[in-house]
Amino acid sequence: MSAPLLELRRLSVAYGGLTALREIDLSLQTGETLGLVGESGSGKTTLALAVMGYLPPEGRVTGGEIRLAGRDLAAATRAELRAIWGIELALVPQDPFTSLNPALKIGAQLAEGLRLHRGLTRAEAQARAIESLREVRLPDAERLAAAYPHQLSGGQQQRVLLALALSARPRLLVLDEPTTALDVTTEATVLDLVRDLLAETGAAALYVSHNLGVVAGRTQRTAVLYASELVEDAPTAELFQRPLHPYTRGLLDSLPRPGQRRAAQPLAGMAGRIPPLNDLPPGCVFAPRCPLANEQCHAERPPLEEAQPGHRVRCHRWPEILAGTADPAQPLTATAPALARAAEPLLQLEDVTVAYPLRRTLAEVLAGQPRPAVQAVAGVDLQLGKGRTLGIVGESGSGKTSLARAIVGLAPHSGGEIHLLDLALPPDVQQRARPLLAQLQMVFQNPEEALNPYLTIGESLSRPLVNLLGLRGPALAARINELLEAVRLPAEYAARRPGQLSGGEKQRVAIARAFAARPELLVADEPVSALDVSVQASILNLLHRLQDEQGAATIFISHDIAVVAYLADDVAVMYLGRLMQTGPAAALFKPPHHPYTEALLAAIPGGGAAGVRLAGEIPSALHPPSGCPFHTRCPHSLGELCETETPPWQATANGKQIFCHIPPADLLALQPRPEARP
Amino acid sequence: MRQHSIVRRLLADPASALGAAIVALFVLAAVFGPALTPFDPNQSIYESVRVPPSAQHWFGTDHLARDVFSRVLAGARSALLLAGGGTLVAVLFGTAIGLVSGFRGGWLDEVLMRFFDALLSLPALLLALLLLGTLRAAYGESVSAIGRGLGVFLVLAVVYTPIVARVVRSVALGVRGRAWVEAARLQGERLPRILLREILPAALPALAVEAALRFSYAIFLISSLGFLGVGVQPPNPDWGLMVNEGRRNLSQVPWAMWAPAVTIAVVVVGANLLADGLKRALMERDLQREKDA
Amino acid sequence: MKRSVSTPGRAGTLFALLAVLTLLLVACAPAAAPTDTPAEPAAETPAESPAEPAASGPSGTLRVAFQPIVATDPGLISSDSEVFVANHVFDYLVDVDPQSNIAPRLATDWTISEDGLTYTFTLAEGVTFHDGSPFSAADVVYTFDRLRDPDGGLATASLYGDIASIEATGDLEVTFTLTAANPFFLYDLSDNHALIIKAGAADPGDFNGTGPFKVVSYTPEDRIVLEANPAYFQAGKPGLAGLEVIFFADDQAMVDALRGGQVDLVLRMSTALFESLKTEAGITTLDIPTNGFDLVRLRADRAPGNDPRVIQALKLATDRTAIWQLVQQGYGAVGNDSPVGPLYGPYHDPAIVPVVRDVNAARALLEEWAAETGGDPALNLVLHVPDSGGRPDLAAVLQQQWAEAGIVVEISVEPESVYYGDNGWLEVDLGITGWGSRPYPQFYFTQMLASDGEWNEAHWSDAEVDALIATAGSTLNEAERVDAYRQLQSILASRGPVIIPYYFAQFGAISEAFLGFEMKAFAGRTDVSGVTLAP
Repeated sequence: MSAPLLELRRLSVAYGGLTALREIDLSLQTGETLGLVGESGSGKTTLALAVMGYLPPEGRVTGGEIRLAGRDLAAATRAELRAIWGIELALVPQDPFTSLNPALKIGAQLAEGLRLHRGLTRAEAQARAIESLREVRLPDAERLAAAYPHQLSGGQQQRVLLALALSARPRLLVLDEPTTALDVTTEATVLDLVRDLLAETGAAALYVSHNLGVVAGRTQRTAVLYASELVEDAPTAELFQRPLHPYTRGLLDSLPRPGQRRAAQPLAGMAGRIPPLNDLPPGCVFAPRCPLANEQCHAERPPLEEAQPGHRVRCHRWPEILAGTADPAQPLTATAPALARAAEPLLQLEDVTVAYPLRRTLAEVLAGQPRPAVQAVAGVDLQLGKGRTLGIVGESGSGKTSLARAIVGLAPHSGGEIHLLDLALPPDVQQRARPLLAQLQMVFQNPEEALNPYLTIGESLSRPLVNLLGLRGPALAARINELLEAVRLPAEYAARRPGQLSGGEKQRVAIARAFAARPELLVADEPVSALDVSVQASILNLLHRLQDEQGAATIFISHDIAVVAYLADDVAVMYLGRLMQTGPAAALFKPPHHPYTEALLAAIPGGGAAGVRLAGEIPSALHPPSGCPFHTRCPHSLGELCETETPPWQATANGKQIFCHIPPADLLALQPRPEARP
Repeated sequence: MRQHSIVRRLLADPASALGAAIVALFVLAAVFGPALTPFDPNQSIYESVRVPPSAQHWFGTDHLARDVFSRVLAGARSALLLAGGGTLVAVLFGTAIGLVSGFRGGWLDEVLMRFFDALLSLPALLLALLLLGTLRAAYGESVSAIGRGLGVFLVLAVVYTPIVARVVRSVALGVRGRAWVEAARLQGERLPRILLREILPAALPALAVEAALRFSYAIFLISSLGFLGVGVQPPNPDWGLMVNEGRRNLSQVPWAMWAPAVTIAVVVVGANLLADGLKRALMERDLQREKDA
Repeated sequence: MKRSVSTPGRAGTLFALLAVLTLLLVACAPAAAPTDTPAEPAAETPAESPAEPAASGPSGTLRVAFQPIVATDPGLISSDSEVFVANHVFDYLVDVDPQSNIAPRLATDWTISEDGLTYTFTLAEGVTFHDGSPFSAADVVYTFDRLRDPDGGLATASLYGDIASIEATGDLEVTFTLTAANPFFLYDLSDNHALIIKAGAADPGDFNGTGPFKVVSYTPEDRIVLEANPAYFQAGKPGLAGLEVIFFADDQAMVDALRGGQVDLVLRMSTALFESLKTEAGITTLDIPTNGFDLVRLRADRAPGNDPRVIQALKLATDRTAIWQLVQQGYGAVGNDSPVGPLYGPYHDPAIVPVVRDVNAARALLEEWAAETGGDPALNLVLHVPDSGGRPDLAAVLQQQWAEAGIVVEISVEPESVYYGDNGWLEVDLGITGWGSRPYPQFYFTQMLASDGEWNEAHWSDAEVDALIATAGSTLNEAERVDAYRQLQSILASRGPVIIPYYFAQFGAISEAFLGFEMKAFAGRTDVSGVTLAP
């Protein structure tokens, strides 16, 4: 084996007195792609920054070496680093929005780097800049070069950053969560592009991500970081097939996989949370959460050992795991089998429209022009039976959140009717009587904002009980305790404030609050997307347990089609404010699909890189395309028909309804069968 | 515990601690000053006319043979009552208007804020002069000293209410879309409770800072009005009035002007330092909370 | 993070500091005159400023600091500075000297008929206007006919209402005929407005006078430049080659300019500034007593001022000497509650003084009054004060002194425009009004103290007083007049609803480079035509 391109030897990094990375040994060959996976707080970003020499002022390399092609970067001066940056080493940062200079044209930003690093003339640099934009598959590169960053979409900006990083042909590319800020369909295309570009340029890549799925199909090796330690490092395929570290196993089990259904197989969540850097356990850092931890694990830091050729793990008990005598899987929460419920309709939506009026200019007001409005939801018909779970999927901008908010009355619907049982719901929450409010509750996306930071948990939980159930005194206190217990939080949390809780704990409280008044219908808007992967599963499981126990119907909204398919009885797919497809979740992965559903399924990370990719961005809801709203991006568009005629609803053999001109039989022929997954 | 940590953070910074000390001294002077004056602040001491600062008369005596130190000390109360009271009223009204305007939004917000924009486009002093002039026109010159004080009080409230309202409104506007506020609406909370329990706490840090800042500017504004002769009436020991009287006699009794002028400067800067410190302490506390989370 | 948190705050503090500094600066340098500091060359210090002495003719330029002038038509002038400028461009028929005696000017001599109804004036010879045209009796007739024209809209019309006719009885002789005897008629002829203009002048304000100086240039709000009139009819005048009146907005700026050598003469300034100039090298300070005074008066036509005990109590509670020492710093003279001040020679009787201060007696009187009438022994009145001169100070000291007798007053300091506006000053119960210096006292009595006086602000109506005023104003017997004034003085001191705590001093300061300067009680009538440059 030739000398590695990048070699970390016992690298330690500290922020002030806090160890952020502890004696990391890791190497990367020329042209190799290494995934670096971990939750927030694991140290993965610190590692990326350390390699780049970009550590913040309070961060310091406290030991070890970072060798790039034999040279120690940890000991390099600023000037030496500057000579390396861009030429041998380039970074694709996390957030495209803040990484581009808003005041400089795209072309100028690219050219500046080239002139600096490569000593090109102005004209040469400009030409090379446009060329590099073409390389990242940006159409109309000349026009883009003359544009300012804000005129580009998020996906385009991320491509520009890629172009920026690749333009100088670096030997090593560090990608720090390059797609977390993007929509799923955009994410998939960008990830594919990165993979192709790496293959073309022969650059090695260090791929930092919190998402195992993203890393799965795109890296040769994967290293897992946990609480400043490198816990496992193996060829990617082997890591997925035979994880040796209990933490890796937990991470993999937390991922819902396409086709997995909750009724059959609950998700395994990991107990506890990642320890803070100022309070690392003395032995194995994962011991407090590990189902296999024994006394040795708590007392003694395990060494990093090569269990198999090229497969290193830092665990005392790997031999037993390898041999299959110890099971590192997290214990599953026992769940009662889902009760069969009558499909009595609870909620009915008829032709529901949500429009957000826009401001007119004075001239427009004077000219008597009607007030323009963005149609966030356009003519949606839906039904939901008692106790059923409806999943709604779509990208951002699809109107799924607006629909949810219209149901609870936070975004009053401007057209159509929403019926709860026999009652037509007033559009605005303010017009709804308290008994009605008790029937409809919501869990919000961001747990950081879901709870009033100035109230204690107990106070937050008491409000719906007081307002909607009229509880007072001891009955109130008792019910609060009950609720905390139901979401598996200790009773003393009642006295705490949200600031003292983790994100997952906050979301538990928010869920408890939503269930407090025993609603008939719960709307959950992306309830786990803001949480770490290991916490997500436990929250999802909690949600279901409560839903099952209380018999509440649920509308579950997510951009993650795998999660929705796992949880829901029925799935609705939305695009540009309209429903594209409805049908039972069991049939979701089986063709025929609506072409948009097909694209969503193909974009599932780790779900196989093959399949259709969507071109372009979601069109503006202010001026939705005529005919089928999806025709501008549809891979199977029939041309004029789709562009001019509103599609019909067509039923498929497996019980779906599809809003498309293409006959289901033709779609079936066009669409591949899903691959079987391990 | 929360208060305690804010106080500790505040006092940890020397500049903020200095500001707090000055304001504390000022408040003490306002409460006890009138009882502690070595001489009657309004009484001429015929045997000590225009004497420079000495052991007996720390800040000297003015052109009418009144003890300047006693006058400065006695002036603290009216400064605190008017500035503090005016600020308090402005904070109360501004908070109420800002909360409703920010939460309700729509045409109400639009109308209120445009109106406040118009008010704010006038310099505070000009607006104050305008209002006092209007009050005079309406109630004539024969208003008593209490009436004049009320006028200044009212003017401070009117001048500062829009500023406070805008600060609170901007917080309310940012908070009203927060999930916890929406959750409160879903849980059947009534409007007053949403405003006071869900939104107001978020505005408190900004409000505290704004109040301290307004307070310091109020002292300055009152002094400016006194200086221009439209605020408090002589011979009341109003600092601004004293600066103006001292100015007329500057060539003979410079200390009679410098003592109140420097006092105004010290108190205004002190209140400003306190406002700064308060802002820093509150922001640091919030940062700390986020870190703890 | 920490730095970015603190930055806006620091900026706030900085702003506050700047704001406070601005206040201090405003306080320290209030004299931001709208007129620029005169753009004199720096080299022209007072020592060198006067032009090179010439063997023949006047030399040197006197630069006088004054408030800006607005009116230039003698019929319309009113302020000190307007009168000052006009007095050097034009001439009066008769003048008043610094001792308040009538003195000749364009009239060199005059005779008065036995009945006091006919005045015949002989005019100076060889007088010419600045445009070169000769001066004659017709110009005098024209001037006074204009001033007394009831339809002319001039303030002097009522003053000259007692003139029956004016005739040019010769080329250089004018005869005035009156409807009734007026012992002060010569003073009336020397009214500030009575400057002789050319007969038929298209614009009386265009500076075509007969006076000792001719206008070279006039820049409104900046300065007016005059040069000696070589054809001036009085021998030896003017004593200077030039005169400049430079405009300033307030006395602090004027005094600064005097110190800095940009002006040579300042008339009227605050006591404090005057005090500060006394030790200044190269500057001569002058102060003269005047007949001007601040009048504290209580309305006598309604409660509480309609009871003599209340008026007496206020007089008993007031220490005039202490007020004079404190507010006027001992300049001018202590008051005696009468407008007949010590400068009025025989009219003033120094032996007549108001009651000596006795706060207990005052308190007893008020309690007696209150018990009888159900009034408030503390009175609880608002003392209205215009915000000019030392009047707010006077109010503050009065408030203290009266408080010792249990009398409570609120002070209301008001801009002059408010105090005098809409005749509010005539309505209020308790007020302080400033009265300027007059060459004879009758004016005060007819205007201020007679029942039918136009400005009878105390609303006093006393038959005995009215009779005495009528006598003093009409008798041709000087002894009778002296007696009437002394009786009036006595009545006012004992029961008049007025307190006059002091008579003002007039302050002036002039560069030592000039000689022969004499100041008048009314600053505007101060005549510098006799001033010369020191050798």
